[in-house]
Amino acid sequence: MSERPDYLPEHIREKLFHDPRVAEQDLKVDVKEHRVLLGGNVSSLQLRHTITEVAQELLPGYEIVNETTVVPATEPEDEEPVS
Amino acid sequence: MIRIAAVGDLHYGEGSQGILKPGLEHLPDRADLLLLAGDLTRRGNPEEIQVLANELRGLPVPIVAVLGNHDYHCGREAEVRRALEGVGVRVLEGEAVTVDIDGVRVGIAGTKGFGGGFRGAHGSDFGEPEMKAFVGHTKMLSDRLERALTGLDGVDLRIALLHYSPIEGTLEGERLEIYPFLGSYLMAEAVDSAGADLVVHGHAHHGTEKGRTPAGIPVRNVAQPLIRHAYSVYTLNGHREVQPAAAGGIS
Repeated sequence: MSERPDYLPEHIREKLFHDPRVAEQDLKVDVKEHRVLLGGNVSSLQLRHTITEVAQELLPGYEIVNETTVVPATEPEDEEPVS
Repeated sequence: MIRIAAVGDLHYGEGSQGILKPGLEHLPDRADLLLLAGDLTRRGNPEEIQVLANELRGLPVPIVAVLGNHDYHCGREAEVRRALEGVGVRVLEGEAVTVDIDGVRVGIAGTKGFGGGFRGAHGSDFGEPEMKAFVGHTKMLSDRLERALTGLDGVDLRIALLHYSPIEGTLEGERLEIYPFLGSYLMAEAVDSAGADLVVHGHAHHGTEKGRTPAGIPVRNVAQPLIRHAYSVYTLNGHREVQPAAAGGIS
Protein backbone atom coordinates (compact mmCIF):
# COMPACT_ATOMS: atom_id res chain seq x y z
CA MET A 1 0.00 0.00 0.00
CA SER A 2 1.30 3.45 -0.90
CA GLU A 3 2.60 5.48 1.98
CA ARG A 4 1.52 8.69 0.28
CA PRO A 5 -1.39 10.23 2.19
CA ASP A 6 -2.93 11.49 -1.07
CA TYR A 7 -3.80 7.94 -2.09
CA LEU A 8 -4.36 6.26 1.27
CA PRO A 9 -8.11 7.01 1.63
CA GLU A 10 -8.85 5.53 -1.80
CA HIS A 11 -6.76 2.44 -1.03
CA ILE A 12 -8.67 1.92 2.22
CA ARG A 13 -12.03 2.45 0.49
CA GLU A 14 -11.11 -0.10 -2.18
CA LYS A 15 -9.88 -2.65 0.37
CA LEU A 16 -13.07 -2.30 2.42
CA PHE A 17 -15.15 -2.81 -0.73
CA HIS A 18 -13.23 -5.95 -1.66
CA ASP A 19 -13.22 -7.42 1.85
CA PRO A 20 -15.96 -10.10 1.88
CA ARG A 21 -16.93 -9.11 5.41
CA VAL A 22 -17.76 -5.58 4.22
CA ALA A 23 -18.31 -5.42 0.41
CA GLU A 24 -19.77 -1.95 0.79
CA GLN A 25 -19.10 0.45 -2.08
CA ASP A 26 -20.72 3.52 -0.59
CA LEU A 27 -18.25 4.19 2.20
CA LYS A 28 -16.50 7.51 2.44
CA VAL A 29 -12.99 7.44 3.82
CA ASP A 30 -10.95 10.37 4.98
CA VAL A 31 -7.53 10.13 6.62
CA LYS A 32 -6.00 12.96 8.61
CA GLU A 33 -2.67 12.27 10.27
CA HIS A 34 -3.37 9.07 12.25
CA ARG A 35 -7.15 9.35 12.28
CA VAL A 36 -9.46 7.55 9.82
CA LEU A 37 -12.95 9.02 9.38
CA LEU A 38 -15.54 6.65 7.88
CA GLY A 39 -18.89 7.85 6.51
CA GLY A 40 -21.77 6.67 4.33
CA ASN A 41 -24.73 4.33 4.71
CA VAL A 42 -24.72 0.77 6.02
CA SER A 43 -27.55 -1.74 6.32
CA SER A 44 -27.05 -2.91 9.91
CA LEU A 45 -25.37 -2.12 13.21
CA GLN A 46 -23.45 -5.38 12.89
CA LEU A 47 -21.98 -4.31 9.55
CA ARG A 48 -21.08 -0.94 11.07
CA HIS A 49 -19.08 -2.72 13.81
CA THR A 50 -17.44 -5.02 11.23
CA ILE A 51 -16.34 -2.03 9.17
CA THR A 52 -14.61 -0.54 12.20
CA GLU A 53 -12.83 -3.84 12.89
CA VAL A 54 -11.68 -4.30 9.30
CA ALA A 55 -10.49 -0.68 9.04
CA GLN A 56 -8.51 -1.19 12.25
CA GLU A 57 -6.91 -4.33 10.78
CA LEU A 58 -5.90 -2.35 7.69
CA LEU A 59 -4.42 0.54 9.68
CA PRO A 60 -3.44 -0.82 13.11
CA GLY A 61 -1.82 2.37 14.38
CA TYR A 62 -4.71 4.67 13.44
CA GLU A 63 -7.73 5.88 15.38
CA ILE A 64 -10.91 4.74 13.56
CA VAL A 65 -13.86 7.15 13.77
CA ASN A 66 -16.91 5.42 12.30
CA GLU A 67 -19.66 7.93 11.45
CA THR A 68 -21.57 5.65 9.08
CA THR A 69 -25.37 5.67 9.34
CA VAL A 70 -27.55 2.56 9.65
CA VAL A 71 -30.33 2.87 7.06
CA PRO A 72 -33.80 2.05 8.45
CA ALA A 73 -35.84 -0.64 6.70
CA THR A 74 -39.23 0.05 8.24
CA GLU A 75 -42.60 -0.05 6.48
CA PRO A 76 -43.35 2.95 4.27
CA GLU A 77 -45.78 5.49 5.66
CA ASP A 78 -47.79 5.96 2.48
CA GLU A 79 -48.12 5.06 -1.17
CA GLU A 80 -47.70 7.15 -4.30
CA PRO A 81 -50.37 7.26 -7.00
CA VAL A 82 -48.43 7.07 -10.27
CA SER A 83 -51.40 6.82 -12.64
CA MET B 1 -56.06 -0.10 -8.86
CA ILE B 2 -52.86 -2.14 -8.67
CA ARG B 3 -50.41 -1.58 -5.82
CA ILE B 4 -46.77 -2.21 -6.69
CA ALA B 5 -44.23 -2.59 -3.87
CA ALA B 6 -40.62 -2.21 -4.97
CA VAL B 7 -37.15 -2.14 -3.45
CA GLY B 8 -33.61 -2.74 -4.65
CA ASP B 9 -30.09 -2.75 -3.29
CA LEU B 10 -30.78 -4.80 -0.19
CA HIS B 11 -27.15 -6.02 -0.25
CA TYR B 12 -27.79 -9.03 1.94
CA GLY B 13 -24.81 -10.72 3.56
CA GLU B 14 -24.57 -13.87 5.61
CA GLY B 15 -25.27 -11.86 8.77
CA SER B 16 -28.25 -9.91 7.42
CA GLN B 17 -30.96 -12.07 8.98
CA GLY B 18 -33.95 -10.02 10.09
CA ILE B 19 -33.04 -6.72 8.42
CA LEU B 20 -35.98 -6.78 6.00
CA LYS B 21 -38.42 -9.26 7.49
CA PRO B 22 -40.04 -6.97 10.12
CA GLY B 23 -40.69 -4.36 7.42
CA LEU B 24 -42.43 -6.96 5.24
CA GLU B 25 -44.97 -7.97 7.90
CA HIS B 26 -47.88 -5.95 6.48
CA LEU B 27 -46.80 -5.98 2.83
CA PRO B 28 -49.59 -8.41 1.80
CA ASP B 29 -52.16 -5.87 3.07
CA ARG B 30 -50.48 -2.97 1.26
CA ALA B 31 -49.36 -4.34 -2.12
CA ASP B 32 -50.40 -6.80 -4.82
CA LEU B 33 -46.93 -7.43 -6.17
CA LEU B 34 -43.32 -7.07 -4.96
CA LEU B 35 -40.54 -6.06 -7.36
CA LEU B 36 -36.87 -6.52 -6.42
CA ALA B 37 -34.55 -4.26 -8.42
CA GLY B 38 -31.23 -6.09 -8.09
CA ASP B 39 -28.17 -6.00 -5.82
CA LEU B 40 -29.91 -8.37 -3.50
CA THR B 41 -26.55 -9.61 -2.17
CA ARG B 42 -23.18 -8.06 -1.33
CA ARG B 43 -21.00 -10.38 -3.44
CA GLY B 44 -23.37 -12.75 -5.23
CA ASN B 45 -22.74 -15.72 -2.93
CA PRO B 46 -25.44 -18.39 -2.78
CA GLU B 47 -25.10 -18.27 1.03
CA GLU B 48 -25.98 -14.57 1.00
CA ILE B 49 -29.04 -14.91 -1.22
CA GLN B 50 -30.28 -17.81 0.87
CA VAL B 51 -30.58 -15.46 3.87
CA LEU B 52 -32.84 -13.16 1.84
CA ALA B 53 -34.70 -16.08 0.26
CA ASN B 54 -35.59 -17.32 3.75
CA GLU B 55 -37.13 -13.93 4.54
CA LEU B 56 -39.15 -13.90 1.31
CA ARG B 57 -40.34 -17.49 1.64
CA GLY B 58 -44.10 -17.71 2.07
CA LEU B 59 -44.89 -14.06 1.29
CA PRO B 60 -48.40 -14.32 -0.20
CA VAL B 61 -47.80 -11.89 -3.09
CA PRO B 62 -46.09 -12.55 -6.43
CA ILE B 63 -42.42 -11.52 -6.34
CA VAL B 64 -40.49 -10.60 -9.50
CA ALA B 65 -36.78 -9.75 -9.45
CA VAL B 66 -33.80 -8.81 -11.57
CA LEU B 67 -30.22 -9.27 -10.41
CA GLY B 68 -27.74 -6.41 -10.00
CA ASN B 69 -23.99 -6.03 -10.48
CA HIS B 70 -23.22 -7.22 -6.92
CA ASP B 71 -25.16 -10.42 -7.60
CA TYR B 72 -22.70 -11.23 -10.42
CA HIS B 73 -19.49 -10.60 -8.48
CA CYS B 74 -18.64 -14.23 -7.59
CA GLY B 75 -19.68 -15.56 -10.99
CA ARG B 76 -22.39 -17.64 -9.30
CA GLU B 77 -25.41 -15.71 -10.58
CA ALA B 78 -27.08 -18.91 -11.78
CA GLU B 79 -27.05 -20.21 -8.20
CA VAL B 80 -28.34 -16.86 -6.92
CA ARG B 81 -31.16 -17.10 -9.41
CA ARG B 82 -31.99 -20.68 -8.45
CA ALA B 83 -32.10 -19.80 -4.74
CA LEU B 84 -34.66 -17.08 -5.45
CA GLU B 85 -36.67 -19.33 -7.75
CA GLY B 86 -36.64 -21.93 -4.98
CA VAL B 87 -38.84 -19.68 -2.85
CA GLY B 88 -41.12 -18.72 -5.74
CA VAL B 89 -39.44 -15.52 -6.95
CA ARG B 90 -39.58 -15.07 -10.73
CA VAL B 91 -36.17 -13.78 -11.87
CA LEU B 92 -36.01 -11.93 -15.20
CA GLU B 93 -33.07 -11.23 -17.53
CA GLY B 94 -34.25 -10.06 -20.91
CA GLU B 95 -37.50 -11.84 -20.22
CA ALA B 96 -41.06 -10.95 -19.28
CA VAL B 97 -43.75 -12.40 -17.08
CA THR B 98 -47.46 -11.65 -16.76
CA VAL B 99 -49.16 -11.62 -13.38
CA ASP B 100 -52.95 -11.65 -13.04
CA ILE B 101 -54.10 -9.48 -10.15
CA ASP B 102 -57.87 -9.58 -9.66
CA GLY B 103 -58.40 -9.76 -13.40
CA VAL B 104 -55.84 -7.07 -14.27
CA ARG B 105 -52.99 -8.47 -16.34
CA VAL B 106 -49.71 -6.87 -15.25
CA GLY B 107 -46.76 -7.52 -17.55
CA ILE B 108 -43.24 -7.08 -16.22
CA ALA B 109 -40.16 -7.09 -18.44
CA GLY B 110 -36.84 -7.14 -16.64
CA THR B 111 -33.12 -6.86 -17.15
CA LYS B 112 -30.14 -5.93 -15.04
CA GLY B 113 -29.26 -3.37 -17.68
CA PHE B 114 -25.85 -1.75 -17.70
CA GLY B 115 -24.00 1.57 -18.01
CA GLY B 116 -22.67 3.79 -20.74
CA GLY B 117 -24.04 7.21 -19.91
CA PHE B 118 -26.74 9.47 -21.24
CA ARG B 119 -27.71 11.48 -24.30
CA GLY B 120 -24.86 13.64 -25.50
CA ALA B 121 -22.31 11.81 -23.37
CA HIS B 122 -22.78 8.09 -24.01
CA GLY B 123 -19.86 5.76 -24.65
CA SER B 124 -19.50 4.14 -28.05
CA ASP B 125 -18.57 0.57 -28.90
CA PHE B 126 -15.42 1.83 -30.58
CA GLY B 127 -11.72 1.34 -30.00
CA GLU B 128 -10.42 -1.19 -27.51
CA PRO B 129 -12.15 -4.55 -27.13
CA GLU B 130 -12.95 -3.64 -23.53
CA MET B 131 -14.87 -0.54 -24.63
CA LYS B 132 -16.70 -2.48 -27.33
CA ALA B 133 -17.64 -5.12 -24.76
CA PHE B 134 -18.83 -2.50 -22.26
CA VAL B 135 -21.15 -0.61 -24.59
CA GLY B 136 -22.05 -3.73 -26.53
CA HIS B 137 -23.36 -5.33 -23.33
CA THR B 138 -25.65 -2.35 -22.72
CA LYS B 139 -26.92 -2.43 -26.30
CA MET B 140 -27.65 -6.13 -26.12
CA LEU B 141 -29.57 -5.88 -22.84
CA SER B 142 -31.50 -2.80 -24.02
CA ASP B 143 -32.52 -4.60 -27.21
CA ARG B 144 -33.69 -7.57 -25.17
CA LEU B 145 -35.65 -5.25 -22.87
CA GLU B 146 -37.44 -3.68 -25.81
CA ARG B 147 -38.31 -7.09 -27.26
CA ALA B 148 -39.53 -8.36 -23.90
CA LEU B 149 -41.74 -5.29 -23.39
CA THR B 150 -43.07 -5.42 -26.95
CA GLY B 151 -43.86 -9.10 -26.52
CA LEU B 152 -46.23 -8.37 -23.64
CA ASP B 153 -49.36 -8.47 -25.77
CA GLY B 154 -52.78 -8.06 -24.24
CA VAL B 155 -51.67 -6.85 -20.83
CA ASP B 156 -53.39 -4.01 -18.98
CA LEU B 157 -50.19 -2.62 -17.44
CA ARG B 158 -46.56 -2.85 -18.49
CA ILE B 159 -43.68 -2.39 -16.07
CA ALA B 160 -39.96 -2.34 -16.85
CA LEU B 161 -37.85 -3.67 -13.97
CA LEU B 162 -34.15 -2.74 -14.11
CA HIS B 163 -31.15 -2.47 -11.85
CA TYR B 164 -29.23 0.27 -13.69
CA SER B 165 -30.94 3.58 -14.35
CA PRO B 166 -32.43 4.49 -17.74
CA ILE B 167 -32.40 8.27 -17.08
CA GLU B 168 -30.27 10.97 -15.49
CA GLY B 169 -33.25 12.35 -13.59
CA THR B 170 -33.14 9.69 -10.89
CA LEU B 171 -29.36 10.04 -10.53
CA GLU B 172 -29.42 13.61 -9.27
CA GLY B 173 -27.38 13.59 -6.06
CA GLU B 174 -24.79 11.17 -7.42
CA ARG B 175 -21.38 12.41 -8.58
CA LEU B 176 -21.45 13.31 -12.25
CA GLU B 177 -18.18 11.42 -12.85
CA ILE B 178 -19.88 8.08 -12.19
CA TYR B 179 -23.03 8.60 -14.30
CA PRO B 180 -21.68 6.31 -17.07
CA PHE B 181 -21.45 3.52 -14.50
CA LEU B 182 -24.95 4.11 -13.18
CA GLY B 183 -27.01 3.69 -16.31
CA SER B 184 -27.67 4.29 -19.96
CA TYR B 185 -30.20 6.19 -22.05
CA LEU B 186 -30.43 3.12 -24.30
CA MET B 187 -32.75 1.52 -21.76
CA ALA B 188 -34.99 4.62 -21.72
CA GLU B 189 -35.09 4.52 -25.51
CA ALA B 190 -36.12 0.86 -25.36
CA VAL B 191 -38.89 1.63 -22.89
CA ASP B 192 -40.11 4.68 -24.83
CA SER B 193 -40.18 2.66 -28.06
CA ALA B 194 -42.10 -0.26 -26.58
CA GLY B 195 -44.31 1.72 -24.18
CA ALA B 196 -44.76 1.16 -20.46
CA ASP B 197 -46.64 2.51 -17.46
CA LEU B 198 -43.78 2.47 -14.96
CA VAL B 199 -40.04 1.87 -14.84
CA VAL B 200 -38.42 0.76 -11.59
CA HIS B 201 -34.67 0.62 -10.98
CA GLY B 202 -32.07 0.68 -8.21
CA HIS B 203 -28.26 1.00 -8.17
CA ALA B 204 -28.10 4.76 -7.46
CA HIS B 205 -28.01 4.95 -3.67
CA HIS B 206 -27.49 8.70 -3.60
CA GLY B 207 -29.85 9.56 -6.44
CA THR B 208 -33.42 10.82 -6.57
CA GLU B 209 -36.57 8.72 -6.33
CA LYS B 210 -38.69 10.25 -9.09
CA GLY B 211 -38.08 10.95 -12.75
CA ARG B 212 -39.51 10.44 -16.25
CA THR B 213 -38.24 9.12 -19.54
CA PRO B 214 -38.10 11.57 -22.48
CA ALA B 215 -41.54 10.21 -23.57
CA GLY B 216 -42.96 10.88 -20.09
CA ILE B 217 -43.04 7.39 -18.60
CA PRO B 218 -42.64 7.53 -14.79
CA VAL B 219 -39.33 6.19 -13.47
CA ARG B 220 -38.77 5.34 -9.81
CA ASN B 221 -35.40 4.69 -8.17
CA VAL B 222 -36.09 2.27 -5.32
CA ALA B 223 -32.54 1.77 -4.02
CA GLN B 224 -33.11 0.94 -0.35
CA PRO B 225 -30.47 3.36 0.99
CA LEU B 226 -32.36 6.08 -0.89
CA ILE B 227 -35.99 5.26 -0.02
CA ARG B 228 -34.96 4.34 3.57
CA HIS B 229 -37.89 1.96 3.99
CA ALA B 230 -38.38 -1.77 3.43
CA TYR B 231 -40.08 -0.88 0.12
CA SER B 232 -42.02 1.86 -1.65
CA VAL B 233 -45.58 1.43 -2.91
CA TYR B 234 -46.82 2.86 -6.22
CA THR B 235 -50.42 2.61 -7.36
CA LEU B 236 -51.44 2.31 -10.99
CA ASN B 237 -54.89 2.16 -12.49
CA GLY B 238 -55.46 -0.91 -14.57
CA HIS B 239 -55.64 0.62 -18.02
CA ARG B 240 -52.60 1.51 -20.05
CA GLU B 241 -52.23 5.24 -20.53
CA VAL B 242 -48.79 5.57 -22.05
CA GLN B 243 -48.59 4.26 -25.59
CA PRO B 244 -45.43 3.55 -27.53
CA ALA B 245 -43.79 6.74 -28.70
CA ALA B 246 -44.45 7.64 -32.32
CA ALA B 247 -41.58 6.63 -34.57
CA GLY B 248 -39.25 9.56 -34.96
CA GLY B 249 -37.28 10.50 -38.01
CA ILE B 250 -34.58 12.85 -39.10
CA SER B 251 -35.99 15.60 -41.24
